[in-house]
Amino acid sequence: MKLHFNDITLDISSNGKTFALTLDDKTIQAEILHAEIGKLDLLIDGQRVTAYVSSDNAKRWVTVNGQTFVLTKSSGARKGGHAHHAAGELTAPMPGQVRAVNVSEGDAVTKGQTLLVLEAMKMEIRVQAPRDGVVSSVLVTGGQTVEREQILVKIENG
Amino acid sequence: MFKKILIANRGEIAIRIMRACKELGIKTIAVYSDADKNALHVQHADEAIHIGDSSPKESYLNADKLIRAALDSKADAIHPGYGFLSENASFALKVASVKLTFIGPSADSIRAMGDKAESKIAMKKAGVPTVPGFEGLDSEKDLKKAGREIGYPVLVKAAAGGGGKGMRVVNDESELSESIESARREALNAFGDERLLIEKYIPNAHHIEFQVFGDQHGNLVHLFERECSVQRRHQKIIEETPSPLLISPLREEMGSAAVKAAQAVGYYNAGTVEFIVDPDTLTLRQGSGQGFYFLEMNTRLQVEHPVTELVVGLDLVQWQLRVAAGERFPYSQEQLAQHGHAIECRVYAEDPANDFLPSTGKLLQYIEPRGPGIRVDSGFTAGDEVTHFYDPLLAKLIVHAENRAIAIRRMQAALKDFVVHGVVTNIDFLQAVLSHPDFANGEVTTRWVEKTLESGSLLPENRQQAVELQSLIAAALADLAIDNRQSKIDNRSEPDPYSLWRNPSGFRN
Repeated sequence: MKLHFNDITLDISSNGKTFALTLDDKTIQAEILHAEIGKLDLLIDGQRVTAYVSSDNAKRWVTVNGQTFVLTKSSGARKGGHAHHAAGELTAPMPGQVRAVNVSEGDAVTKGQTLLVLEAMKMEIRVQAPRDGVVSSVLVTGGQTVEREQILVKIENG
Repeated sequence: MFKKILIANRGEIAIRIMRACKELGIKTIAVYSDADKNALHVQHADEAIHIGDSSPKESYLNADKLIRAALDSKADAIHPGYGFLSENASFALKVASVKLTFIGPSADSIRAMGDKAESKIAMKKAGVPTVPGFEGLDSEKDLKKAGREIGYPVLVKAAAGGGGKGMRVVNDESELSESIESARREALNAFGDERLLIEKYIPNAHHIEFQVFGDQHGNLVHLFERECSVQRRHQKIIEETPSPLLISPLREEMGSAAVKAAQAVGYYNAGTVEFIVDPDTLTLRQGSGQGFYFLEMNTRLQVEHPVTELVVGLDLVQWQLRVAAGERFPYSQEQLAQHGHAIECRVYAEDPANDFLPSTGKLLQYIEPRGPGIRVDSGFTAGDEVTHFYDPLLAKLIVHAENRAIAIRRMQAALKDFVVHGVVTNIDFLQAVLSHPDFANGEVTTRWVEKTLESGSLLPENRQQAVELQSLIAAALADLAIDNRQSKIDNRSEPDPYSLWRNPSGFRN
């Protein structure tokens, strides 16, 4: 069977206790030695590996040897994990609260102008216009909580 | 001694204070906001009082609500922790006015050290070395004259300031006018006070601070230094003691200056005198008072107090409580010594790859390291939500070892055993700093992180491809095992596939 993480496809077959995993024409032998909640002891090509694994919808958090990786599981090996935003869409660089909205629909804005201010964990971030234009829509209001990558404001060419 | 103390704080420091209270047989009262209803600090307390909305202004910064909670619960003292209202003189006064004890210095000491210009004047009077410069200048003409006298580069900064706000580096007289204007504007916005001071800018400085401790009977000592030069956006990331830069007799000189500074404002309880140290002038220095300068005094317990505790062998929070209750501090300067080396790393929920911006979410896994010489002060546990309302500090990881080289290795090993899933952390970044030769050589200055990041030589450790591949395989096998399990007859309904891990034999074929 095939599994897809980020833009990588793994082809996996099971042979009793061991698994054969193929990616990029390379095959690796692996065995699960022990498993408990959130933790796997594995034998990968003869080497003992302890992995901590957590799942959050399609996201997998994996820690091996002190290094943590965030993988996204998908149904097919499509390129690019991040949502693609159109050029005029300004998104939240971090999760937080909208502290101030300085523009409204129809306003002409100039490059570098602060459109709104976000606050999270004592930090203030100004969301600025990347270029001159006209605000075509404002999708948030003051006090609202936003997620990372959430669209805040749309700008059209003036 | 007190019977019951209200802790006007949250997170790791609230828990740290509760531990000290428990050991002294004092009951504790936690306060919490909406967001902290199930927080760890609430579970650690004997009683917990809800004080309001998640926004700090409505809860942890609301003096009246905190005092009301203390009175209602019949507490006899309030510990402010650090941050929030810990350095607010009018809060200290309010607490005293309702006959409760504020665990900290007097309101007068807090006020005297709260203003950068006023405190600098007081320090000069007390004979504590300060950065060459001028206070109380108003007109641009006077500031220009001062700039020439000091010699560029200079720093203009807000008298009421803190946290780098209202501060500008001026490299040349031509930039002065604009810098004054923008620093004034920022200072007015942030502090409602546009007074500025001007001083020599020292670009390659170490930040070295001295812990001081005093009782209400006139005893005042220092508990040696902490080196806090690893900083980003004026925020400390790694602290250690002893400082790799300090040698005798400079250590003793700075220690005496710290004591002198604290005495000048009639200080008691725990406090920290911060200095900037210029390594370039240190090597040339002959007499005393050259090379180190008073920066400011923090009139509270410091985030990084644990490294001092480990190296001098005292419980600072217990002593805060005891001297606040009127006890004498029993150790003289001669009886105090440094033993071994301690390092603290601040583990933050922030993403180095996203410009160190905060990362929020639910902690899917949270496993702290253990072992000889490892201490973790933390306010979170697995399943907790890291919200955007408060500081992104997840935990302080502190190690103690017989010398600096071993302490660094111990920290590297401990960080490797720290597992956090659900929010992105700076653990990789901390590892990159610890393994950098500049850190090993003790050559890190306060601008080092910024400069080293820019030069590209402080990228997160080159990720070993082998480890990345192993992670991928682990993720795949975890999922596959679950699929296998689900295809078998399973009459228990378990909505979360990962809860299948409760029965490990299920995927061992």
